[in-house]
Amino acid sequence: MLETVAQAVINGLLIGGIYALVSIGVTLIFGVVKIVNFAQGEFVMIGMYISFFLATQFGIDPLVSLVVSMPVLFGAGVLIQHFLIRRVLGPNDMPQIFLTFALSLLLLNLALMLFTANYRTVHTSYSDEAIHIAGLYIPVAKLIAFVLAMALSGALWVFLHTTDLGKAMRAAAQNRDVATLMGINPNRVFCVALGIALALAGAAGSLLMPFYSAYPFVGQVFTLMAFVAVVMGTLGNVIGALVASLMMGIAESLGIQYVGADSGLLVVFAMLLLTLAFKPTGLGGGRAR
Amino acid sequence: MKKDRKDSASNQAGLDRALSKRQGRREFLLKTGGILAAGAFGAVPLRGWAADPVNIGALYPTTGSMAQIGVGCVAAAKLAAEMVNDAGGIKSLGGAKLNLIISDVQSDTTVTRTETDRLITGNKLSAIHGCYASALTLIASEVGSSSDQLNKGRTYTFTPFARASQFAQAQLRMSKLVSDQPKVAVIFENTAFGTSTSNGLKELAPSEGVEIVMFEPYSAGFTDASPLINKVKASGANALFSVSYLNDLILIVRTIKQVGLNIAINGGSGGFVIPDFYKNVGKLAEGLQGVAHWNHDMDANCEKVNAEYKKRTGEFLFEYAGGLVAQTFMIADALERAASADPQKVREALSTLDVSSGYAAMAPGGKVKFGPDGKNVYGHPVGVQWQNGDLASVFPKEDAHAPLMKT
Repeated sequence: MLETVAQAVINGLLIGGIYALVSIGVTLIFGVVKIVNFAQGEFVMIGMYISFFLATQFGIDPLVSLVVSMPVLFGAGVLIQHFLIRRVLGPNDMPQIFLTFALSLLLLNLALMLFTANYRTVHTSYSDEAIHIAGLYIPVAKLIAFVLAMALSGALWVFLHTTDLGKAMRAAAQNRDVATLMGINPNRVFCVALGIALALAGAAGSLLMPFYSAYPFVGQVFTLMAFVAVVMGTLGNVIGALVASLMMGIAESLGIQYVGADSGLLVVFAMLLLTLAFKPTGLGGGRAR
Repeated sequence: MKKDRKDSASNQAGLDRALSKRQGRREFLLKTGGILAAGAFGAVPLRGWAADPVNIGALYPTTGSMAQIGVGCVAAAKLAAEMVNDAGGIKSLGGAKLNLIISDVQSDTTVTRTETDRLITGNKLSAIHGCYASALTLIASEVGSSSDQLNKGRTYTFTPFARASQFAQAQLRMSKLVSDQPKVAVIFENTAFGTSTSNGLKELAPSEGVEIVMFEPYSAGFTDASPLINKVKASGANALFSVSYLNDLILIVRTIKQVGLNIAINGGSGGFVIPDFYKNVGKLAEGLQGVAHWNHDMDANCEKVNAEYKKRTGEFLFEYAGGLVAQTFMIADALERAASADPQKVREALSTLDVSSGYAAMAPGGKVKFGPDGKNVYGHPVGVQWQNGDLASVFPKEDAHAPLMKT
């Protein structure tokens, strides 16, 4: 009994790490630029395909291909902010929603056209391996993904709290007008925020590749989870999104174990409803950090 | 010969009359749509002339979402026609050659209907074969069954291969290869496909003497199979039936390996028994069991056709395409005995088909004879397993080519 619970918690925690990378990106963009990025999952998908092609064409391990997928998507984020999002920033939310939603559709259909709807998997030496301790097992690929995801989240936290640019981003997140008055160049900060968010999505893609299949619709699974985590962890709050993601992973896993294998998401959404009912501003206490 | 020509000419006149009225035309289309779609493997004689060569219509989706299978079917259809022609054509018709008229239905029901119309009205056909995904078939046959004339129409459809209901039975019986007392865990995605397939398994299990120890739906497209596999482990099952699409199945197989769970996995039919599956899944597929309409190693003839197909396309002959080659030979056999290309006579000859050797008998069991319902009385599916990158027949004994590999 205890063993089963422990196993379910381990499973949930490990997948929660991946949810965290995606939701931190969404919350960062929302916190700093104040737009909702509906295309975040599609960038995870692009990260996966980058790792897939590097692995199949050049034999590069998906984890190593992080050093390609993250810079490529960082660059894409900067370009998207500079050439697309910058033009729709204004008092009206609608063009922003349409822009990121259209981007999501465009990328999804481009992927369908270029890569077809087939599932692509990469098989690494550690894909099927697991560490067995005391009757429990920890899949190696997921453990590595979790550790790296936590390391990246930690690095982001250090960046936001110790560097001038990071502080400028937090300032812009807390109050954009005052930040601008203090001499912070909003477009530069926004470009970096988009870049970092997309790089995290790319990292999630590369980390997923050793144990999950790439296909054009793969991002939608993660977009949904990310949105729930972002709302639950207070919009714009990086730590909140991280904690909420891990909680959701565990809730989903326990839900599958004890409610039913088709009820994992049910438990997650029940958790979201309860959070909204009793703490409407989210677990982060309504503050962007 | 001359008389045949006259007969079919009057048939054609009747057809023209029918087409001249819009309502009549719609009924005609509904009816033919129903006939054509009623079986994934249907050989349907139609109106035509006893002229040389004999036209065979081929309706396949060679573009769109089902194109991969459709393109393979066309390659197999061409191969089969060539084989018949190279062997001297239809001898009773003076060595008439089979002429394949291929039509792309674009994986789309509307196009299927218009293309069928174009094919029938624009050509003098003796028979049509079609290879549809069940989605197209289902919609078309639902439309068809609203027509009063379907009963009449059904007599034009022949199904040489196993029906859906036989697949569940085969899957349950295969579990007995794994253990004398199979304890089966059934996991299925919570969609119409998953629910109906798994319910079929559940209903049949008691009469087959198979115990189902776990019966659990899951959300399709999950990110983590571990909790589900935890449950399977706890159930104590020694065989797992997974009614899943590819992505979920890959996660399930991988997780089972990580857990170190020793269990035989049967993925059922469909996407698991085509060459693409192994390409996508790789070594993880080894030992995975499935059920198919047809397999390329059932007998020497199948292997011969498979070798030729492999030379042309680089891949092994998958179930639909292989069945199609057999079907072409069934039509050729009927044409030979009818000594006429008149669709009505071809239909009569097909209804009395009884073969147990040659290319026309390339079906599981090696025998084809149609009952009054147009279905092969010997029809059953073949149980298969991925072994060394190839699909080996393992069940039932009469079709088995290799022993079941224990995983």
